Amino acid sequence: MRILIVEDDPSLASGLSRILQAEGYAVDATGRGEDAVLAASQERFDLVILDIGLPRMDGFEVLRRLRVAGSDKSGPLPVLVLTARDAVDDRVRGLDLGADDYMVKPFAMPELTARVRALLRRSQAHGGPRIVHGPLTLDTVARRAFLAGEPLELAAREWAVLEVLLARVEKIVSKESIIQAVAGWGEDLSPNAIEVYVSRLRAKLEPSGIRIRTVRGFGYMLEEYKDA
Amino acid sequence: MRPRSLRAHLLRMLLPPISALLAVGAVVAYYPSLEPATEAYDQALVDVGIALGTHISIADGAFRFEVPPAVEQVLRTDRYDTIYYRVLGPDGQEIAGEPLLPPPPEGAEASAELISYDTKIKGQKLRAVSVLAPCGRRACTVLVAETTVKRSRLTRDIMFSSLFPEILIAIATLVIVWFGVKRGLGPLSRLSEEIKARSPRDLRAIDAVAAPEETRPLLDALNGLLEQVAEGNRNQQRFLANAAHQLRTPLAGLQAHTEIALSQPLPESCRLQLEQVHQATIRTARLANQLLALARAESGGRASTSPVNLKALVEGEADQWVHQALAREVDLGFGLDPATVDGDALLLREAIANLAHNALEYVPPGGHVTVRTGLRDGAPFMEVEDDGPGIPALERGRVIERFYRIPGTGGTGSGLGLAIVREIALAHGASMEISDGALGKGCRVEIRFPHG
Repeated sequence: MRILIVEDDPSLASGLSRILQAEGYAVDATGRGEDAVLAASQERFDLVILDIGLPRMDGFEVLRRLRVAGSDKSGPLPVLVLTARDAVDDRVRGLDLGADDYMVKPFAMPELTARVRALLRRSQAHGGPRIVHGPLTLDTVARRAFLAGEPLELAAREWAVLEVLLARVEKIVSKESIIQAVAGWGEDLSPNAIEVYVSRLRAKLEPSGIRIRTVRGFGYMLEEYKDA
Repeated sequence: MRPRSLRAHLLRMLLPPISALLAVGAVVAYYPSLEPATEAYDQALVDVGIALGTHISIADGAFRFEVPPAVEQVLRTDRYDTIYYRVLGPDGQEIAGEPLLPPPPEGAEASAELISYDTKIKGQKLRAVSVLAPCGRRACTVLVAETTVKRSRLTRDIMFSSLFPEILIAIATLVIVWFGVKRGLGPLSRLSEEIKARSPRDLRAIDAVAAPEETRPLLDALNGLLEQVAEGNRNQQRFLANAAHQLRTPLAGLQAHTEIALSQPLPESCRLQLEQVHQATIRTARLANQLLALARAESGGRASTSPVNLKALVEGEADQWVHQALAREVDLGFGLDPATVDGDALLLREAIANLAHNALEYVPPGGHVTVRTGLRDGAPFMEVEDDGPGIPALERGRVIERFYRIPGTGGTGSGLGLAIVREIALAHGASMEISDGALGKGCRVEIRFPHG
């Protein structure tokens, strides 16, 4: 996995590089937006970490050019935006321009690496047929699930709910958005039904250390898998 | 000093000239009409004098004067005035009548056949005429005088009839000025109502179209000032944005490197110190964020005001809090109903984030924190409720002071959180209320917005 860091602060750039290298990624870093656009057009990266506050060509412009240039390529290049957040609403603007996620400086490194993992997993899920989460593997083509190598029986609705949660690991997914993703046209699915599916999923997954948190009054969050 | 009332000032300026005009008008109307009237009365006296003169006769070289009772009667029956007469011989000898009636003074008004003059008898004001009457070959003098009751009445009547309409006109003028000024200043009152109703963050130019022409210079000056303030705000916003970036980026670097260092095997003493550095970095970053938010809230500036959906705002932020909640083993819950307010999304997010962080920080493990949005009695609100130690009623006034922390509390807060929330609430015309949580336990902080 190859990551491009675009950050003009040398201290932060070197810190990010070291952490991501320690996680096993190949890392390239530049402090100039122009270089980043050029590099992305010539080489293949799996993820870009992009600072908004760059000198000359700012992060928004880099993001815009990456999106224009990337539209004819196979898969979308995930972009994680770093922002110092004041003045314009950087976050909203970044997400509007097609950033996949944002982080506000300063941030904790474990959170950064978690977000990077989630983004990479998501982009692979788009392209590839397999979603992996700790001991859990979903083969989206064959629609079969495996837990620690053993086949796992999942009802269609359970599968659908799990797929939604897996697409947004470490993020709260509201019940409403699960209903929207799971219910077919004209179908009326109650929040209670979602609770039932989630509790069945929990019964099947928690013995393997995969945890689905309830966020009261809001929804659920699939926690990142941590080796015990 | 009391401000000068434009109306009172106008009236004060108008009153002297109007009074002067009134006086001049009265004089101008009075004398021309008084003269013919006085002449008519004088003529009547002359007629009496001539009539009396015919009653002088000469017998044995002596003058005699006898008035028939009918004439006497006429003289007595004047309704208003007492009439006096005196008949003098050609050489000035007393013939008849009232001897106290003075003769005309030297240089009295004289025409061919009569002399008229003002005089007095026993302190009474009189108008008198002197008429010559034939006495044989010579002429006798007949003086006739009457009191001035009739004449005073006439004077009064003339004065009144000429002054009355003028006084009416003067009063009407003052009334018209009084209400005219009020009416004329009406657009100004409406403007001031409009300005009063503005939020302090609203620095748009005042619409001068509806205002009277004369107030344009004032409005232009005011709008110029507003523009300058707005420009100052924009400069401050730019400065804050730059400062934010300049501060946060090196802090991010510092945090990254301490975390890298901490992830490596270290001697225990070194690790403890590095952990202190790490904690201090995080606190500094949080403090920088809060100070910037506070400055932003205070600087006003309406640039980024737009309709903000509070429910979506909290949903977008919830991810950030849930990790803190998990780390502290606090149950974080939500009760989100749609509610929309006009405001600065960034500041509103900062406000609710501060409330959530505060609650998550001070609630002990196993506690509950609930974030709510929605409408209460039709007014949008957002609130955070917890079942932690709460804020004693006596401290509630103080916790909104900057850098104030309740003595003996743990946590690593700067004491700025609630001061920021309050400032942000004020900037949105909203109120911040601190009350007990449900069941009298913990604490509930509510931001209540004005009715949409």
